[in-house]
Amino acid sequence: MESEELFQYIASLEAAARPSEKPSDLPTIEVPPEHFLSLMQQLREDPRLYFNMLQVHTAVDWVKKGIFELLYQLYSTKDRQSLRVLVELPRENPVIASVCSIWRIAEWQEREVYDFFGVLYEGHPDLRRLFLEDDWKGFPMRKDYEDDFMLEPGQ
Amino acid sequence: MGLITEKLPKMMAGMPGSDIIFTRMDAVINWARANSLWPLTFGTSCCAIEMMMAPGASRHDLARFGAEVARPSPRQADMLILAGTIVKRMAPRLRTLYEQMPEPRYVIATGACTISGGPFIYHSYSTVRGADTIIPVDVYVPGCPPRPEGLLYGLLTLQKMIRSGETVREPGIRHKPVTSETPEGITIEDIKSEMLALLEKDAVVDVRKAAEQMERPTGI
Repeated sequence: MESEELFQYIASLEAAARPSEKPSDLPTIEVPPEHFLSLMQQLREDPRLYFNMLQVHTAVDWVKKGIFELLYQLYSTKDRQSLRVLVELPRENPVIASVCSIWRIAEWQEREVYDFFGVLYEGHPDLRRLFLEDDWKGFPMRKDYEDDFMLEPGQ
Repeated sequence: MGLITEKLPKMMAGMPGSDIIFTRMDAVINWARANSLWPLTFGTSCCAIEMMMAPGASRHDLARFGAEVARPSPRQADMLILAGTIVKRMAPRLRTLYEQMPEPRYVIATGACTISGGPFIYHSYSTVRGADTIIPVDVYVPGCPPRPEGLLYGLLTLQKMIRSGETVREPGIRHKPVTSETPEGITIEDIKSEMLALLEKDAVVDVRKAAEQMERPTGI
């Protein structure tokens, strides 16, 4: 599917999803958090799209704008089609629905994002730290993270 | 070895001529130890690629110096080549691995991250500033990462240290840690010109010679 066709088809499924204007190498859509889970469910199950693989899930901390930008990169092994989904969350209260029920691999990827950015996932079965020690305080990939171990914090 | 290195010194202490015997014995034992170092397969980041190149790949054959038998178990290894960044979470595991290795054990720290924390020293929340804060290090090999030649030179330095260092009567007491750096008398210009010559030799193809070889294939 060409990207224009893809965007139109996704917009027909979920009106809140719109093509992203940010520079990107993949077809990219942005969606508000309240429509996020239903959109992802449809992207996975719709026979014309069939995005059965969650390749990448990560977050970007835009500290000056006060948002976390969550990035989901989907892939369809049937059509060899990629799609990137962006969601913006407020930094103060970063809560989003978990996609574990749709892609099992999201369980670890969401744990990693929780570990480093402190994004909370509603409906995640086991939201613990993945890389850092269990008693770690704070979320080190946040741009305003500081601790006593760093020699020059606040870069 | 336990008999010679542990029981014999006590039994022979005070006997006439025991000093000479021990000195001879030290030379033999240290020679044997220096030439059969078994490295532990332990790599944490990019320096590990260089570490794998040194014993595993052609051209830089670590077997020439008796240190090619990379062991996956710390209980069979007696040399630990620290290759790569050590993070806080890895530090206790590294300490455990080191303690599991049988005595005598030797440690080579390669690369900037392992020696001091390297580029992560100021802003990192997780990188340990120097592996010697966790375990004792015998030889430091600077570089980011060091070339395989650098690692080989570090190994030779360690062997030199073992040969002259430990004694049977005082096990565990060694010479101070040393930095494996460019030997005296060799300037950076020498290395540059040598590298240039090597690059030119490798990069320039003698077409006529290659064609001749194609006409007369050898070794088939």
